[in-house]
Amino acid sequence: MEWLTEMRENGLALIAEIDSIDSLEQVRVELLGRKGKLTTQLRGLKDLPDDERPKAGAALNKLRQEYEVLIEERKTSFAAQKEATLADGCDLTLPSVAPVTPGNRHPLTSVINEICDIFYGMGFSREDGPDVELDYYNFTALNFPDDHPARDIQDTFYINDKVLLRTQTSPAQVRIMEQQTPPLAVIVPGRVYRNEALDASHVAEFFQIEGLYVGKDVSLADLKTTVLQFVTQFYGDDVITRFRPHFFPFTEPSVEVDMQCMACHGDGCNVCGKTGWLEIMGAGMVHPNVFKAAGYDSDKYTGFAFGLGIDRIAMLKHAIKDIRYLYENDLRFLSQFRSVR
Amino acid sequence: MNISLNWLKDFVTWDCSVEELAEQLTLVGLNVEEISDFVREYPGVVVGYVETCQQHPDADKLSLCTVNNGESVSQVICGAANVKAGMNIVFAQTGALLPGGFKIKKAKIRGVESFGMICSESELGLAVKSDGIMELAPDLKPGTSIDELFGYKDTVLDVEVTPNRPDLLSHLGVAREVAAITGSLLNTPEVWSPPKAGKEAVDFTVEIEEFADCSRYTAHLARDLKVKQSPQEMINRLTAVGLRPINNVVDITNYVMFELGQPLHAFDLNKISGNRLFTRKSKGGEKFVTLDGVERELTDQDLVIADSIGSVAVAGVMGGQRSEVDEDTSDLLLESAYFNPSLIRKTSRRLQLQSDSSYRFERTVDWENVDFAAKRALYLLQKNADAHVVSNFVDRQDPDRAELNTVPLRVEQVNRLLGAEITTIEVVDILASIGLKSKLLGQASDRKSVTGQLMVTIPSFRRDIFIEVDLIEEVARIYGFNNLKIESNFRSGTGVKRRECDQVLDKAADYLTGSGFSEIITSSFVSLENVHNLGIVEGDYRFEMMRIHNPHHGGETLLRTTMIPSMLDTVRRNINADAEIPVKLYQVNSVFLPSLKLEHELRHEDEKLLPLERKVLQFAIAGKEEQAHHSLPMVLMELKGIVEQLSIDMGEQLVIMPGGDEPYYQKGLQFILSNSAGDNIGSMGLVSRSVLSKYNIDFPVSIVELDLGKFGLNVPTVKFVNYSRYQASTRDLSLIAPETVSYKSIIEAVEYSAGKLLVDVEMFDIYKGKNIPSGSVSLGIRLKFQSTKSSLKSKAVDVAINKVTERLSGTLGVTIRD
Repeated sequence: MEWLTEMRENGLALIAEIDSIDSLEQVRVELLGRKGKLTTQLRGLKDLPDDERPKAGAALNKLRQEYEVLIEERKTSFAAQKEATLADGCDLTLPSVAPVTPGNRHPLTSVINEICDIFYGMGFSREDGPDVELDYYNFTALNFPDDHPARDIQDTFYINDKVLLRTQTSPAQVRIMEQQTPPLAVIVPGRVYRNEALDASHVAEFFQIEGLYVGKDVSLADLKTTVLQFVTQFYGDDVITRFRPHFFPFTEPSVEVDMQCMACHGDGCNVCGKTGWLEIMGAGMVHPNVFKAAGYDSDKYTGFAFGLGIDRIAMLKHAIKDIRYLYENDLRFLSQFRSVR
Repeated sequence: MNISLNWLKDFVTWDCSVEELAEQLTLVGLNVEEISDFVREYPGVVVGYVETCQQHPDADKLSLCTVNNGESVSQVICGAANVKAGMNIVFAQTGALLPGGFKIKKAKIRGVESFGMICSESELGLAVKSDGIMELAPDLKPGTSIDELFGYKDTVLDVEVTPNRPDLLSHLGVAREVAAITGSLLNTPEVWSPPKAGKEAVDFTVEIEEFADCSRYTAHLARDLKVKQSPQEMINRLTAVGLRPINNVVDITNYVMFELGQPLHAFDLNKISGNRLFTRKSKGGEKFVTLDGVERELTDQDLVIADSIGSVAVAGVMGGQRSEVDEDTSDLLLESAYFNPSLIRKTSRRLQLQSDSSYRFERTVDWENVDFAAKRALYLLQKNADAHVVSNFVDRQDPDRAELNTVPLRVEQVNRLLGAEITTIEVVDILASIGLKSKLLGQASDRKSVTGQLMVTIPSFRRDIFIEVDLIEEVARIYGFNNLKIESNFRSGTGVKRRECDQVLDKAADYLTGSGFSEIITSSFVSLENVHNLGIVEGDYRFEMMRIHNPHHGGETLLRTTMIPSMLDTVRRNINADAEIPVKLYQVNSVFLPSLKLEHELRHEDEKLLPLERKVLQFAIAGKEEQAHHSLPMVLMELKGIVEQLSIDMGEQLVIMPGGDEPYYQKGLQFILSNSAGDNIGSMGLVSRSVLSKYNIDFPVSIVELDLGKFGLNVPTVKFVNYSRYQASTRDLSLIAPETVSYKSIIEAVEYSAGKLLVDVEMFDIYKGKNIPSGSVSLGIRLKFQSTKSSLKSKAVDVAINKVTERLSGTLGVTIRD
């Protein structure tokens, strides 16, 4: 009796769809009412052959019982809900009375705080450097020769020949080394400036975090360890990274660290520019000339430095496609980050 | 840098996939940013034979042709003057696809149907412009696919070349790295070699004014050549790497530059006056028309190549129009030189003219390669332009040139810096793979140790290697960063506590966000107009702003000394975007004030040029036009409440004193904020209507600014004070006070006179108007009394209340209302 199975399933589906006391009544009438499907079928029993009639009759009656029980159950649950919300005439589904809608931190601040927390745990302390910097600290002390193309990597805003807006947080390296003695482990978050054409991934002011660790016998392997500890804590255990040689005047050897794209798992997509990898930081061993500028003996001390772009991290984390959203300060943007710590 | 794999195969072989090759190059430091297929195909385009050609019945300049494609004959209308019957042409049939996605459809031109198009070179993307259609060789069979003639398939790697590696700005340079990875042999290209005997005299000389500016200059003469189109293969390769083919001579100079990394320049010999070239500084103020047709003014700092009349090239940057090679050129002088990198860079920047040539010179070219590249170009000139190369040539070199070509390397230091255990022999092998030969100092047994000493010879193409650490980097990148072990026992230090200033800021941010404020991050730049709008004028220290020498196009030009404009701007933008009122925002950013540093505080003598950077916590409310206590603006009193609570949160009794004369706050509605030490650390106020109108803000706005450097630090540790467990007693007083008496003075009088049983006093009502004498205000205050020793007797409270009322009426003229 296939028709019976089909009929039962259709009926059960209708009951499952009930979402209010009104729709419950509709379904009840449709299934069990005088003109309902079941009643019609029961009436039609007399037209069936004699040998099928008793069997079908029993099955239909059983189905009627099943429908009735299920509908009753739903009815009870609605009633209970109604009781809970409208006990003594109180409608607790009315909007709550909130004295203040809280605001929230800027997502960039949250990312900076989260990264700093991870490095605090690894023994790094936080320092600051000035936004307006001497050419000396931003370039010369960092082993950028005068009139060298390495300076072109960064389009610099100049105040005059000697003063500029820092293009990186790295000038803090030499400033800190001038004031402290090894071993030292510091992170320096801050705003940096580049005279670049504005588009979805470039703005003239953005944020970086610099890291510096100096001691005796500090090696590239130690840098890798530190970077991987950070990556694991920030991005998770299952992140795949690679270290790729690069060039920065103030570190040697220099590396860039890539993370396998989390959107495509390395297959290549729009997020990673089809490469399967996302560059997450630049790093390297402090160049002897930088130690020299800071007055350190590079035969005695070695160290590593790294730098991270905060904006990019925030954009990847929160799926922000255009960097300019970060600086429009529109509450429709900002208020989305309430749940971010 | 675009690298054509077809081209690369001239020098090196590999047997892995393109993706694997790219990955391996990336891991040794040549970051392959993109792999793209270069495909030039002409679907539906074939060789056609023009059977007949007549004039279009209805258009003078059009021809009506019949074209045979080997199978059938079609009617085609052609607009070129050079079409004629009996020629083989490029026939784009209907349905064909031309470069740029141009699809050929059946068309009706002046009433006559046309089934296809006869193409020119430019329509095939083979030339920038062309006169008329392309005539093909007569022996070609009609119907032959044009792909067989002009189609090209290549794979192009976009390689990121860092400024320290100019040697990689060439196919041969990249091939060296590939050879190091795959262990394959490196081929060298064919070059011209001067005949052993029967040398011709060269009647040409080159004078170098300063060897410091130009340490090598070679000049070769090539005569009787024919300027024409380059062979297809060269055109294909140049196009694949993004260069524009021009003619065989220019193409050869570009080809050799991309092949070997050495920029070359070809002068039309017959346009050079005299038989002497000078490499010297420009005389200054000189007007010079470069190859791009732009007239440029040179200074006496710019290096030029000159003949007896004047400059013929801006050295290393761009040639001049006067000596340009053109279709009629038959003899040329080929320059290959080494120019001072920083000199080229200065000129290129000053003229805002960066060429492929200047790009390479300023990164330094390979001194030894100067001559080799010239000979490569001469070989190609013979081959592609039928040139006769004059066997003698000029090669001027700095006789005193000293070059460092050996660098010592301690393998122990390699392992110390990398945290590895690489043996001496492994280091030797790694260096050899990239062309660096090393000699073992000490005993042969050191080869297996991890502490050997080496002397490494640096080839001329790697003059970026000066010191030991440069070699260590080479070892590291070929060894592979990813092969370095991770020392799991490395600990960078013990846990660290956050700085006090960070804790203060965090706590303030917690309180502000909890009170409905959202954080904004605004620009450090400000315009003069913005500052003027606040009423800040000359004489105010905030008027002295640092100016950006090279501002962003259309950007602001000054560094801000106040964050008020950015806050008002953000408020306005949010209100315009229908933000819910009140808008509550805060920011923690820096302002840049004139420096106050004393000489002895400077760590670097130029430090006095830097501004004083002050980190400011600023928060603001833009709310409805409402009044608190009948007359005061609600937004201001709300903010006052925030400051009071924040002050408690910070454990710091912030003193809020009415006063201050900020031009952007309304007179009389501003406060000075000072800390317990009495330092002035901030201000609060209601923004004046005139300032708000400049920002088109229709809602009242109040703002607080606190100098974070002085706020909330040195908070004393909290000491618990025991509280009374006895019943408190409260009394309400209804006061009539003259309007001239401040609430603060009333409270002070109450506290002064009530005695030590008074534990709290608060206002519960304020009223002015009906039933209250004019000039007075009615205040309801609640006094709470409590003893720490016993339950209070009503009488003791009465005594205190009497003292209070006496004091209030006696000193302030405040009376009790009946």
